[in-house]
Amino acid sequence: MRIKFSLFFHVSMIAVCVTPVAILLLLSFSKNWAFPVLLVDQFSSIAWNDLFSGGNDVRHSLLLSVLIATVVAFVATIIGFFVSKTIAYHTYRRQLLFLAYLPFVLSPVILAVCLKFYFIKLSLAGTVAGVIIAQLIIAIPYSIIFFTGFWNQRVKSFEHIVNTLGGTNIVALTSVIIPLSKPLLLVCFFQCFLISWFEYGLTSVIGYGKIQTLTIKVYQFLTEANIYYAALSCCLLIIPPVLLLWINKRIFLKYL
Amino acid sequence: MKNKGTILSFTLLFIFAIIPLVAGLGYALLYSFGLVGVLNHGFTLQYWKQAFADQAIAISFLYSSSIAIISLLLSVISALLVALRYYQLLKKGIYTYLINLPLAFPPIVAAFFFFQFLSKGGVVSRAAFQVGITHTMQQFPDLVNDRLSIGIILAHCFLSFPFFLLLFTGLIKTQRLHDFFQIAESLGANKRQITFRVAIPLLIQKSLPNILLYFIFIFGAYEIPVLLGRSHPESVSVLAVRKLQKFNMLDIPQGYVIAVVYTIFVVLFILIFLKQKKLAYAN
Repeated sequence: MRIKFSLFFHVSMIAVCVTPVAILLLLSFSKNWAFPVLLVDQFSSIAWNDLFSGGNDVRHSLLLSVLIATVVAFVATIIGFFVSKTIAYHTYRRQLLFLAYLPFVLSPVILAVCLKFYFIKLSLAGTVAGVIIAQLIIAIPYSIIFFTGFWNQRVKSFEHIVNTLGGTNIVALTSVIIPLSKPLLLVCFFQCFLISWFEYGLTSVIGYGKIQTLTIKVYQFLTEANIYYAALSCCLLIIPPVLLLWINKRIFLKYL
Repeated sequence: MKNKGTILSFTLLFIFAIIPLVAGLGYALLYSFGLVGVLNHGFTLQYWKQAFADQAIAISFLYSSSIAIISLLLSVISALLVALRYYQLLKKGIYTYLINLPLAFPPIVAAFFFFQFLSKGGVVSRAAFQVGITHTMQQFPDLVNDRLSIGIILAHCFLSFPFFLLLFTGLIKTQRLHDFFQIAESLGANKRQITFRVAIPLLIQKSLPNILLYFIFIFGAYEIPVLLGRSHPESVSVLAVRKLQKFNMLDIPQGYVIAVVYTIFVVLFILIFLKQKKLAYAN
């Protein structure tokens, strides 16, 4: 009985975790999947070939997504790191943290429709810069919340020691704080990258359909009933997070 | 120097967190009261009255709450049971990597996968046909865009289950719950009592802030309900966006009413969340 339970656990866990990836990969390598064939009846690498040869827009969307996510992650991590310090040591820490939580937890698409007017007025709607700024509105609060826990009494005493020994605040930052927070900075960078990478609502509203990141492409291909290219876009969306989660895990295991 | 840093930090906090929120909410409020917008001519409560008279909005809030509660119940309970039963297996080997795999799925990819998996022409329907359970595509039940929102709930569970599983296994380890279990055992508690009177209450108490936060995320989700849901009832985000983005301009003020009510709901929820978080850490 115990063995049966254990076997059931192994089978269901592997099925839940692996089946979606396997099906998406399979669909991206096919060109015909008529009912009632269970697995695809015609394998083809057309979609992937088009990606590498630039025969479709997917490569452009992939590069655009990488660019937007990298910029968002970089800016959000740096700003969040320094702003969180002020919040963490502030008398009104709880109240300020509450303000930081709000943009992060609000539905991005509702936030976007409320902000669209201002983006249009500032001529930022439908531009890459507009999408980056819009995504920063949710990524920076996340980064602030992420780092608030880092700034504790221990870190403060390290800074005090450096100051007592004659070091400036810049020295304390470069020689103590940054080396101490390096793993967290990397983890936050990855998490912000993923927030941007996964983003659909803000991008679709503020981007006006002109800024076609991979998530926008998936929806577009789906409405065009082009499931093979949609599956290709899905595979491309999954690969970086899998790599980042793996690296994230290694960093967490190694340093934390 | 210190003051300059503080001023800069507050400026950035205001620019990226507070101003967008206040400006967005302010615009939505003004629009909903008829003070801005192309078709508006001055202060009116008409749109708020219409919105509250329109059952679609109340139904939408109830529908989103129900989806979030059911999805969370299913994923939290299953994650609790798996974490407690298979803790030893989960903390080593292939599972430490495998559990992370669904976390790499953006919601739109999860929605796309469940559409291809559960629809009438999907993998499950084909398998049912192959083994002779169904004889035509139409005989397969509606599992996406369906009345009971099965597709939406399963997609949310798929994304939230690994999150809670990792959270609970992490808590068992960091909070040294096995020490509590041993104490309970030495005091004469049996396995059932340890599970239901010690383990589950402790894990729920410690993870309550995360559960509440996840409720808000599912409540405001857009991609999954828009792809896997029906046109009636609609989730809050889908309804708001439909009213704000589609062709009938007379619906726009009502869309902003929904956005304002949703924001107030989230603000109240975050206040509860922060209180719970404080309590969880205090304990």
